[in-house]
Amino acid sequence: MDTPTTYFHWGFILISTPNLLVIAGMVVLFAIALVAPFPHAEADDDGRRN
Amino acid sequence: MKSMGATQEEYYRGVRMIRYDLVKELAIALGAAGLLGLVLAAAFSSPDVPQVTIATWAQSDPLDFVTTAADELAGSTTSAGYGNPYNTAGEGQSWGPIGPQKWFGTRIPIDSANAFVIQPLQRASFSNANLASALKTWQDSDADQQGKWLDAYSKALPDATVTDGNVAVVAGDYGPLPVMMANLLGIAQAGALDGLLVSGGHFYQTDYTQPLLFMGDGGYLSGLADQAHLTGSQWGMMNETGSYPGQTWLWLYTMWYQVFPFTSDDGFLGLNAGNADLGIIILMTLLTTALALVPFIPGLRDVPRWLPIHRLIWRRYYAPRRSSASRIEAPQL
Repeated sequence: MDTPTTYFHWGFILISTPNLLVIAGMVVLFAIALVAPFPHAEADDDGRRN
Repeated sequence: MKSMGATQEEYYRGVRMIRYDLVKELAIALGAAGLLGLVLAAAFSSPDVPQVTIATWAQSDPLDFVTTAADELAGSTTSAGYGNPYNTAGEGQSWGPIGPQKWFGTRIPIDSANAFVIQPLQRASFSNANLASALKTWQDSDADQQGKWLDAYSKALPDATVTDGNVAVVAGDYGPLPVMMANLLGIAQAGALDGLLVSGGHFYQTDYTQPLLFMGDGGYLSGLADQAHLTGSQWGMMNETGSYPGQTWLWLYTMWYQVFPFTSDDGFLGLNAGNADLGIIILMTLLTTALALVPFIPGLRDVPRWLPIHRLIWRRYYAPRRSSASRIEAPQL
């Protein structure tokens, strides 16, 4: 891990592969948070179980 | 819109509620993040780049060290002309009437030539008659003579040779400079200069201002920073050494250093590369204030209406109800 990493260069943007992976991970987590159901699917919206 | 004067019970009457254990979620999130942190730390450890010291600088690149020391004597380095908080040689950064460097004055007075070259040599000269004589010659000379020696020595340094860690220039009229520089280089290579520049009268030394300024004046430290992509023009704030991820949350702060007007000498509205640090602090302060005031800024506060991502998260809540009897009032944005 102490060896130099690779960098991506697009125009004025310069970003390392580890930083890119972290940002991609955050985007994926956000997408999962949008679509993943809340962990009380068996309960009604008012909290009463069916 | 419900009346703000209603009691809490009246205010929430008819609003559908969802039971949710926030404490449980917090505990699970903390536990999962902690476990993930432990696993990643065990697998990847942490960045462990050796400390850069004046000793490693003088050993690795003696010519750069001697060139920088000569420039300190000539007063031509960055630190010598920086201005406040170290000296009054430079104007410092300002934008219109905003000039914090001037406002707060010379809080950390540093005379680069004396602090980094003359004083360490004086300390070392107690047991070194040759050095003491060279130092006396230098200090007894007028500024004009010192300037001539420095000019000749600085012109000879690019062609200097380095042998076994020693720097040698071709013969010339350099006055006492070769003796002074050879001794300063020896002190630095032995590690003594690191100790001399951090000695502040405390048991634990944590003030590295002077060694950092001295190293910053040379090319060695900036060369290492450039290799590790840590300089300002390389988005350095959000990078880490090696293959570790860095401070990605600082992307906005460091992005401004890559774009107009902070890359331009001419700039825009007085903001340019010369006052980029101050300009970017002002810009980020304005943006942070705007973020805090989003609920009061027309247009910006309406973004959730145009991009209803919250309806996707709370899709069951916003789904059409089967019975008209259970119609509820949705939260007001």
